[in-house]
Amino acid sequence: MNRFDPNPLIRPGSGLSRRSMLKAMGLGGALAASVPLLSACGLTGGGDDAAGGGSSSAAAGDVTGDFDWKKASGTTIRLLRTPHPYVSTFDQMGLYKEFTELTGITVEYDDVPEADYFTKLTSELQGASSAHDVFMTGAYFIWQYGPPGWMEDLQPWLDNTSATSPEYDFDDIFEGLRTSTRWDFQKGSALGTGGQWAIPWGFETNVICYNKEVFDAKGIKPAETFDDLIQLSTDLTDRSAGTYGISYRGSKSWATIHPGFMTQFTREGGKDFSFTDGKLVPTMNSDAAVTFTQKWADLAKNAGPSGWTSYEYPQATQDLADGKAMMVYDADSATYPKWKGTAVAGKLGWHPGPAGPDGSYGTNLWTWSLAMNSAAKPENKLAAWLFIQWATGKDALSKAATSGNFADPVRQTVFDGAFKTSIGTEYPGYLETFEKVIGSTKIQFTPQTQFFATTEDWAGALQDIYGGQDAKTRLDALASATADKVNQA
Amino acid sequence: MSSMLDEPVLPDTGATPPPPGKPPVQVPKWRRDLRPYLLSVPAVALIIGILYPFVIGVIFAFQNYSAQTTRNRRFIGFENFQQVLTPGGTFFIGHAAWVTVYYAVLATVIETVLGVGIALLLNRSTIIGRIFEKVLILPLMIAPAIAALAWKFMYNADFGVLNHVLGLGTFNWLSADTALYSAVLVDVWIYTPFVAILVLAGIRSLPREPFEASSVDGAGPVYMFRRLMLPLIWPYILVAVIFRFMDCLKIFDIPQVLTGGGPGDATTTLQVSAFKDLINNGQYSRGATYMFILWIIVFITARVLVGVLGRAQRRAAGAED
Repeated sequence: MNRFDPNPLIRPGSGLSRRSMLKAMGLGGALAASVPLLSACGLTGGGDDAAGGGSSSAAAGDVTGDFDWKKASGTTIRLLRTPHPYVSTFDQMGLYKEFTELTGITVEYDDVPEADYFTKLTSELQGASSAHDVFMTGAYFIWQYGPPGWMEDLQPWLDNTSATSPEYDFDDIFEGLRTSTRWDFQKGSALGTGGQWAIPWGFETNVICYNKEVFDAKGIKPAETFDDLIQLSTDLTDRSAGTYGISYRGSKSWATIHPGFMTQFTREGGKDFSFTDGKLVPTMNSDAAVTFTQKWADLAKNAGPSGWTSYEYPQATQDLADGKAMMVYDADSATYPKWKGTAVAGKLGWHPGPAGPDGSYGTNLWTWSLAMNSAAKPENKLAAWLFIQWATGKDALSKAATSGNFADPVRQTVFDGAFKTSIGTEYPGYLETFEKVIGSTKIQFTPQTQFFATTEDWAGALQDIYGGQDAKTRLDALASATADKVNQA
Repeated sequence: MSSMLDEPVLPDTGATPPPPGKPPVQVPKWRRDLRPYLLSVPAVALIIGILYPFVIGVIFAFQNYSAQTTRNRRFIGFENFQQVLTPGGTFFIGHAAWVTVYYAVLATVIETVLGVGIALLLNRSTIIGRIFEKVLILPLMIAPAIAALAWKFMYNADFGVLNHVLGLGTFNWLSADTALYSAVLVDVWIYTPFVAILVLAGIRSLPREPFEASSVDGAGPVYMFRRLMLPLIWPYILVAVIFRFMDCLKIFDIPQVLTGGGPGDATTTLQVSAFKDLINNGQYSRGATYMFILWIIVFITARVLVGVLGRAQRRAAGAED
């Protein structure tokens, strides 16, 4: 036998040749890859259940006995947040420490800027990650996150008196907010049915904030009709002086459609969908919608910021603060606390905005809410619920409201008590405006799972109309594409 | 009888033999046997790491997978491809593909022309040239998304520095008519230095003799550039073109940060469409279909360009006419 081996590292008789080793490694790699691969192909079954809801009843039902804040003492939960007045107020007031003292639960949190927040959150939920037990969300996101089972239904927790304090008083939360976070995921169903997927934490209505100093100096008042608003905005626009009449969002995003646009669209008689023969029928190309949309785009062109199509709420509200925009039509909380202590403090006023032809003050809302990750570790779910319950409870919200930075508390008693007391006279018209629209404030969109795709398309159409395309033609095309999208699933 | 093959004959390396009485350190046999396999682990892991997400993406493209069908997804053959490739359909890819290719061609051409020009200027080793060489690389150190954000502020029609400095009033850099060109401008700002540095390295590696000889023969600078330098640096230019063109075909961050794909669909590239469908809208299969088609485009383009590069290299080496 020739014992000379050209490769001294591989010895005959070792029992494992290089080739067989490679084969084994290849097989091992293939097996390692195949488990999630097969899962991805839907061949292993059950792989998706981890992401599914359905465990809520069991977890909520496991809590028995008298209610006690200390029931989950020693647990650590993780919260995913985005920097916002609600968030910073809780930080500034040291409320998390109070929660830990009350419950023995430690809260750790990660902050992600709003521009990237939902990308991060969506990726985490898609991957059934249990990295965060509780997360902030908006109501529209429930329509996307709920159907795949990424969110825990909180109704069983609310219903369980062993898990929920008798003092919690869920009905104290404004009705429009409670219903906005509840849906049964059925096409054509209205909000307010089905599971309670999140609990409102803070919210905002969409109204007009204006430069009161200039208005007072000119002896003018905010417009009461949409046509008057167009005229007023145009009159207040002086391009040579770098000032213009009204600012609102115009970027290609769902966020352009939901604040001022959807509010005035609703007041002018617009509706996004009707439900006929089991299908959602887009109606954003109705006669009323076309007329309004053309006016809205023209208003932006004639009396809005020059670079409107890139405007998001920070630019819109900053122009108001800088004295460039005379009015802004956006979230009240985007204008209320932000300017406290700045040069424009005390110089701004609030107004509900124009009523519709029928006197309607239909207003669209946004609510930052707290939701529970359905993939959270079962042993963390009670602690997560206690945190959500505490953060949205009367005590914590009252304390936050006294800081002067927590705009629009979600509870009637907190609004009537701590918030009204703290707001003072620094914000002329704020309380009156709020009380005028709150009864008509709710989510004005029809709930549907393709919300982000279709509203972004809507914003794109609005930009095209602003760019000169015919409103009727463009909105017809939008309606056609939207019908395909919302009815395909 | 002892055979020569029983003991491998080691070459005489001139090294000092180990001192007598102290045997050489022996690596255990199992470690010697394991070594090649351990060495191959990173390569195998890398291959799996690359292929796994690719294969997953391809599988998604043939399914009806979305956030709404998480629990009952299934294979649907070429339905997604039919959706995105049917002209006039709601999900037709045509406009995004056109924007992508237009952006890639425009940006690559501008960056190449400017990059070669800058490289030729910097080739003259002056103090200013050496300073510019250092400054030139700065845009490459900035993340494209950050650069796009900075440019977004500079483009602002009301308070942007560009309109202020250029005296353009309230010119809208991000309107439907201008947004794509504004995005290309950001790309050019970031990546022209890449082309310039690559080409400059090529120029400096050229032999001096042919240039000296042609100078002696009375050739002018333009003639020398066209007939001598350009053919010799052509392979370097092509490498830059290949990198930039393929990168531009995959462009995402600049249009996304500048305009979110708007106004309307003016800057919606294939990557932007895929991102919106995959991440924002939970339409995983359609997003993956966009990406798979983009991969095919990039793959074919790369093959063609690499073939051209090979011919250019052979021609520069004198192996081909």
